[in-house]
Amino acid sequence: MIGRVGARVAAGSVSAAIALVTLGPATAHHVGTYVPKDNEITTNFKQIKFSVQAGRFDVALRLFETGPLQADMRARATTLPAGLEAGLHAALERGDGAEVERRLMIFFAARARDLAREAARQTADPTRSREARAAIGARFLEAIWRYYNLVDFAVAQRDDTTSVAIRLAFDEATGYARSAAAPDRLREPLSRIAHVLSTLIESSTPARRGS
Amino acid sequence: MSPDSRPPLQWRLPPVPVLLTAVVLIVCAEVGGASMVRFKLELTRWARQAMLERPGTHGLVGVRDVDERVLDEALVKFDAGLRLFHLHAEGMGLVIIATATVAATLAGSPASRRPIIALLTVGGAGYPLGYLLWSGLIPYYGPDRGKTIAEWLVWIPFGGATIVALWWLAGLVAWQMVRRERA
Repeated sequence: MIGRVGARVAAGSVSAAIALVTLGPATAHHVGTYVPKDNEITTNFKQIKFSVQAGRFDVALRLFETGPLQADMRARATTLPAGLEAGLHAALERGDGAEVERRLMIFFAARARDLAREAARQTADPTRSREARAAIGARFLEAIWRYYNLVDFAVAQRDDTTSVAIRLAFDEATGYARSAAAPDRLREPLSRIAHVLSTLIESSTPARRGS
Repeated sequence: MSPDSRPPLQWRLPPVPVLLTAVVLIVCAEVGGASMVRFKLELTRWARQAMLERPGTHGLVGVRDVDERVLDEALVKFDAGLRLFHLHAEGMGLVIIATATVAATLAGSPASRRPIIALLTVGGAGYPLGYLLWSGLIPYYGPDRGKTIAEWLVWIPFGGATIVALWWLAGLVAWQMVRRERA
């Protein structure tokens, strides 16, 4: 009896080990999935945005003053519309949610525009292989979308044509970036994204609006 | 012979070098896990610096918004490789002990017992090292190329050895059960 039980235990052990080990190598090559995280800028943006939405402008102002978003705005002051940071600070102080949203929209549109310009330049570099240019294009598009996606709703509320134009250009560029055969065609939709965003920034800047 | 009159199964220990290998593997897993925690910052800094020194390998373009995402993914996978080594080394140490004990007890013929135990030991001990190798290769070759190298150098040969040994052992156990039922 013990012999039969022992043999069954042994058979069970071997079966369990086979299940563990054969399933192991079969799936071993799946070594985890990477989920992109927010960077410090997008994290700070979300903190400020949610504080403003909750009506806690004091919290939003503190998060802005101590967070990386303000530091980044100062570092990029030369490429941003004049007075963007000071105006955002003033809007937070007086509790003007719409103005905060508008200025944040301009900031992220400018970040996305700069990335699109750099992407158009780098993907046109003839010293790189077609595969490398396609891969670079895909990575830039991901970075562009990370920023633009944060303000797309605000853009669409003001001008849905702009939002649609950017989305169409983005989809077109994504299609070209997926194929190593078409990196030469990436430049055009990337330039279009930069152009549309420039127009959006110009039409939304406080000077143009007289505010 | 009726089932009740059969002699009880006498479990036999696998050879000492096999047990020692399994114990050393488990010790390596524990040391690896502890080192991961203790030197996490140093390891991350080293991997990041090694990747920054090889921008072409990792497709870095000199734009922080793009490169940080690439570096972050590689560092997450670098850390995942160390964690998977810890996990698999612990598990495979136990698998070696359990399966080698079954083989030592039930594989009657030395002609089958010895190669089964050898394959289980070598395959089981070598397989987890693939994750350590993958982690070490990521800063130099990137996650995908490093994975391909680890697969061909370690995971496929050592994992294959373990799979072959386990199916061989399963076949032997099944054959013995059939013979016992018939007897």
